[in-house]
Amino acid sequence: MSVAELKERHMAAAETVNSLKERLKQKRLLLLDTDVARYARSQGQTRVSFGLTDLVCCRTLQGHTGKVYSMDWTPEKNRIVSASQDGRLIVWNALTSQKTHAIKLPCAWVMTCAFSPSGQSVACGGLDSMCSIFNLNSQTDKDGNLPVSRVLSGHKGYVSSCQYVPDEDTHLITASGDQTCVLWDITTGLRTSVFGGEFQSGHTADVLSVSINGSNSRMFISGSCDSTARLWDTRVASRAVRTFHGHEGDVNTVKFFPDGHRFGSGSDDGTCRLFDIRTGHQLQEYNQQHDDNEAPHVTSIAFSTSGRLLFAGYTNGDCYVWDTLLAEVVLNLGKLQNSHDSRISCLGLSADGSALCTGSWDSNLKIWAFGGHRRVH
Amino acid sequence: MSLKVEDAVEYSFAMEYHGPPITRELPRALPINVDRIPVASVVSPLPFSDSVSLPVVQPISAADIIGKKLTKDFKLSSSAAELLTVSPTSVIAFESQNNEVSEGSYSKETESSVSPSSVNNASLESETENRNSNDICTLSGELSSDFECCNRNDVLSGVNERGYSSISHDEFVGGVGSSGALESSDSFDKSRKFSGSLRKSSAYEESLDFNESNRTDWESNESVLSVDCLSSRVSSRKFGDENQDSGGGDVRRTPVVTFCDIESDDENVNEDYSHSRPEVVRMKKEPVAKVRKGACYRCMKGSRFTEKEVCMVCDAKYCTNCVLRAMGSMPEGRKCVTCIGYPISESKRISLGKCSRTLKRLLNDLEVKQVMKAEKFCEVNQLSPEYICVNGRPLYHDELVMLQSCPNPPKKLKPGNYWYDKVSGLWGKEGQKPLQIISPHLNVGGPIKADASNGNTQVYINGREITKVELRMLKLAGVQCAGNPHFWVNEDGSYQEEGQNNTKGFIWGKAGTKLLCAVLSLPVPSKSSYPCGEKISSSIGRSKPEYLDQRVIQKLLLIGYSGSGTSTIFKQARILYKDIPFSEDEREHITLVIQSHVYSYIGILLEGRERFEEESLNELRQKQSCGTTLAGHDDANGEETPYSVCPRLKAFSDWLLKIMASGTLEAIFPAASREYVPLVEELCSSAAFQATYKRRHELESLPSVSSYFLEQAVEILKPDYRPSDLDILYAEHVTSSNGLACVEFSFPEPVYDGDADSGDMNDSMLRYQLIRLQAKGFGENCKWLEMLDDVRIVIFCVSLSDYDQFALDGDGNRVNKMMLSKKLFENMVTHPTFDQMEFLLLLNKFDSFEEKIEQVPLTKCEWFDDFHPVISRNRSNSNNANHPTLGQLGFHYVAVKFKRLYSSLTGRKLYASAVKALEPMSVDAALKYAREVLKWDEERPNGRLSEYSTYSTDASSFSH
Repeated sequence: MSVAELKERHMAAAETVNSLKERLKQKRLLLLDTDVARYARSQGQTRVSFGLTDLVCCRTLQGHTGKVYSMDWTPEKNRIVSASQDGRLIVWNALTSQKTHAIKLPCAWVMTCAFSPSGQSVACGGLDSMCSIFNLNSQTDKDGNLPVSRVLSGHKGYVSSCQYVPDEDTHLITASGDQTCVLWDITTGLRTSVFGGEFQSGHTADVLSVSINGSNSRMFISGSCDSTARLWDTRVASRAVRTFHGHEGDVNTVKFFPDGHRFGSGSDDGTCRLFDIRTGHQLQEYNQQHDDNEAPHVTSIAFSTSGRLLFAGYTNGDCYVWDTLLAEVVLNLGKLQNSHDSRISCLGLSADGSALCTGSWDSNLKIWAFGGHRRVH
Repeated sequence: MSLKVEDAVEYSFAMEYHGPPITRELPRALPINVDRIPVASVVSPLPFSDSVSLPVVQPISAADIIGKKLTKDFKLSSSAAELLTVSPTSVIAFESQNNEVSEGSYSKETESSVSPSSVNNASLESETENRNSNDICTLSGELSSDFECCNRNDVLSGVNERGYSSISHDEFVGGVGSSGALESSDSFDKSRKFSGSLRKSSAYEESLDFNESNRTDWESNESVLSVDCLSSRVSSRKFGDENQDSGGGDVRRTPVVTFCDIESDDENVNEDYSHSRPEVVRMKKEPVAKVRKGACYRCMKGSRFTEKEVCMVCDAKYCTNCVLRAMGSMPEGRKCVTCIGYPISESKRISLGKCSRTLKRLLNDLEVKQVMKAEKFCEVNQLSPEYICVNGRPLYHDELVMLQSCPNPPKKLKPGNYWYDKVSGLWGKEGQKPLQIISPHLNVGGPIKADASNGNTQVYINGREITKVELRMLKLAGVQCAGNPHFWVNEDGSYQEEGQNNTKGFIWGKAGTKLLCAVLSLPVPSKSSYPCGEKISSSIGRSKPEYLDQRVIQKLLLIGYSGSGTSTIFKQARILYKDIPFSEDEREHITLVIQSHVYSYIGILLEGRERFEEESLNELRQKQSCGTTLAGHDDANGEETPYSVCPRLKAFSDWLLKIMASGTLEAIFPAASREYVPLVEELCSSAAFQATYKRRHELESLPSVSSYFLEQAVEILKPDYRPSDLDILYAEHVTSSNGLACVEFSFPEPVYDGDADSGDMNDSMLRYQLIRLQAKGFGENCKWLEMLDDVRIVIFCVSLSDYDQFALDGDGNRVNKMMLSKKLFENMVTHPTFDQMEFLLLLNKFDSFEEKIEQVPLTKCEWFDDFHPVISRNRSNSNNANHPTLGQLGFHYVAVKFKRLYSSLTGRKLYASAVKALEPMSVDAALKYAREVLKWDEERPNGRLSEYSTYSTDASSFSH
């Protein structure tokens, strides 16, 4: 078979694939006769209403000197770790808004950070293509810096996201620019499994985000620059369980719904979407129309404990609170008093669901909580 | 009390006010009732409108300030008001919202209350009187808020000079901004009033679904939270409109008076400062709220006996309940959130980084440590160089750093005027005898003046007329001082008379002298320069870079397609600019890497050997079969080709190949090196290996650098091998192979460099960070690039010799490597992050390019198909220096190609330079060129950039 012939056949095959994909999309649209919002409306659901003081900024965590890129809460206690362009991880006590640790990183270009389930250590990763673990209890060296307790190296591209496997201090899943996700064993520092990469069903572009199912920690979701999200089973590294299409831009963030049967995603196309992992269908699109066609990208999302609210941070500094049922914006934290001055790059809900933390490029983190009073009608 | 009333009468203000407030309200101090305030406002409008102007003028007058030995100056600045409002923190902002809101209704009253008090205070001369008046103020109802501030000042400024309070009072009064006081206190009142009902209503709280599970944490944390929502509620309910339009609210904010705070022992200096060098004047923050003496500035509760934490900037005091709310997360230590970003009050410098009990009780150890660290080391809290005048010239930032980080720095450096004798290291306050002997030869400040220490002895040391005490010391130390000699004294105490070249003795040579100096409280040189200085300097040495780096570090991003030599340039930079280019650990690691590389090179050669052996065997067989048709296969085994090896080596090579195939080479080899060295040695010297080595060009997988290492394979594989810098330079994959590596450096003092402006003193202080990124594995869309938006220049590296090389691109097509480089270049240049970024193109491997272009035409790459070197006619005399070589022409051509591409994409100009990465000087020149580009970039606003670059002019003039 000549090269030309091969090429021709390849072209033809690619075309077939594309047309099939298109058909699949059409079919999906056809089957998608309703979405959550329409159904909820037909059921007479009314949207969540927010009073003026229902969500107020009650803490501002100042201390970073660069853009904040990532933050994470401890499962217990009210501590936060944040990673910033200034090359530092800061561990905050969210109640006193004080720092407990400021960790100077060997590589300043950090993109992600995570708190271990026990709260004993933090992990971070970035352009150095490594995931570094810091034990918060270890002694500082003579310069007052916390030493790296473990380096997970093996990625061939930047580490864009990392999350500890719930209830396990020894396992961690990272997402990387090398199109793979990796499950690590921290005690040995070795890769337990690699998801994607050379395998056919892996992502075909940088993976930007992972989220582990809270109720079944074997399952996790990854979002990628190939504008898909994929569901993985940690026991089956060879292929993705399911691929979720729908977004028209890089999927910047994915987050499991509290019940573990759904997940949300946020993308460069300016939308958030809700997918069902059992059917593989898109349940709802959360899209705020903008006058100019340049929709701000979604940078980060988080669900409230009940799942009724979806918090989404946008590149223009907005932070919408979506009513997940009715797909309506009920509040824009970006327009509240004391909101961030710049892009909201990361956000997360505390483990008990009582507070929301947002991190922004204005180098601050803010904690939003219930204002303590609700008007009685 | 009657006495106080009398006092009040003395000062005209009481007269004006005496009506309702004083008589009725005397016993009531703070807090002011909302109801009461309107009373004051009624009084205000008429009588004081004209007197307002008076207080504004008076406090500024220098005579007044000097007369009272005060060091305050102030100016009215609306920009400072903006600064104030910037604070993003919740608490204060809520309150200030309130302030704004209330402003409308109360502003008039504020003015009125202001002016009388100012008149009063202006006439205050003595401290006692001042005290009295303060007392009155406290007692006088409506006025109280204004006077509280003066009271407070009085109390808080105990550390400061006395009388401070009176003046600062003046200032307050004079300034329009003092309105803040009244407003905030009244807003507090309001909120308190509301609090009762709101607390009750909180029983009806309905929790949001997202905090159903527990909301205790957030509420349990002090009343603060509730205060927040209270105030926000107040404002939202009453002034909903303003809330909607927060922008409008900001505009309405009144200007606030800020005070230039220059503290020093000498008030004359202050005059000078404030007049001649207005640009260095600092803003002094004053607390927003004014409260009763001893009370917390936030909750207005407590007495002077309750423990409080003080703001390092504005002196505001907060009780334990309020500290955390008022000071937030303390990114710069103990400062109110509104004071963040302001320099600390110099009087508090002593307590900088010293934790109070209050804080210790509130926070855990780790938190306290972080706060103190931040307080001590954050940049804004550092001593400002402008405040330190050495030999009559205020210091620059670099000089201060030098002064503080020298082995023997001045102790307890405070703002002020100093003289410094660079030769002997003597250091003292201007007009006074020496205080200390610090490290000599520091290039700080101006030249020493003869009257620096205000001596009148006519005896000079290093050009300074010494004081009487010094003269006495000299005499007692046995120095001949007859005839008003001029001495030169060195740092070791050796002295000589001016104009003579013989050392006459050592001033501090005798033990008695030191004792004498101690008695006369004159300094002696510290024995070793360390004992006293070490602790300070080490802490400074550690802390300095932290905030210094962020300030002056210039980031250079080095990027290029794989194989373009970025790693070589990076390594070269390390070797060039670092004292220790590679740490021991790194060298160890590099050794292992190089060794395993060598094994793999050998493996590739052995593979080649097998292939060659087979080929030549086949040839032989063919020959044989041609020659003797029936020659048996039996003979074949016995055949000797040049590539055959003895069985022992054959076994070794088979084993090595097997390991290589299994991919475990790196795991096994470096460790097992020792036992195989003899074998390898034997192998390398074998004829077969040498024969293969000669044909190494036929082995495609063998990198070109391998010959460098294979030549010395035996040496390298020895266990005690330590790679030289050159080895490291040549070695592949020794810098962190994935992703990003960076090195910080500063260009050494120019020695060989003839650049005119590189002698600039700031140059050596500038630090650069070379960031090397491997584009491989970083995806097509380069999303991560936005993390690098703080780099100053992108150095894009292209391997010139790549024009005939091919590589597989993402789709598996065979593409010319130059085209891949071009594509990456386009991606980079058009990336939004690098929108306005300068680009420097380094055309690397110029050396091999020069060789290659003689053999392979440049047109091999489709992008360069219109390369028609003009030189071709003159080939014969290419030796002539005037005629560029083909290689140079090729370089210019490629540079122009990239320049055109760049300007078509961005409309700007690309800088280009040829580099030979293996030559240190070449890399040095290239990085210096990058530095120049940065400099031009800085100068650009001053005028259109002219053609500085020899490279670029050359290259752009070359066109066809």
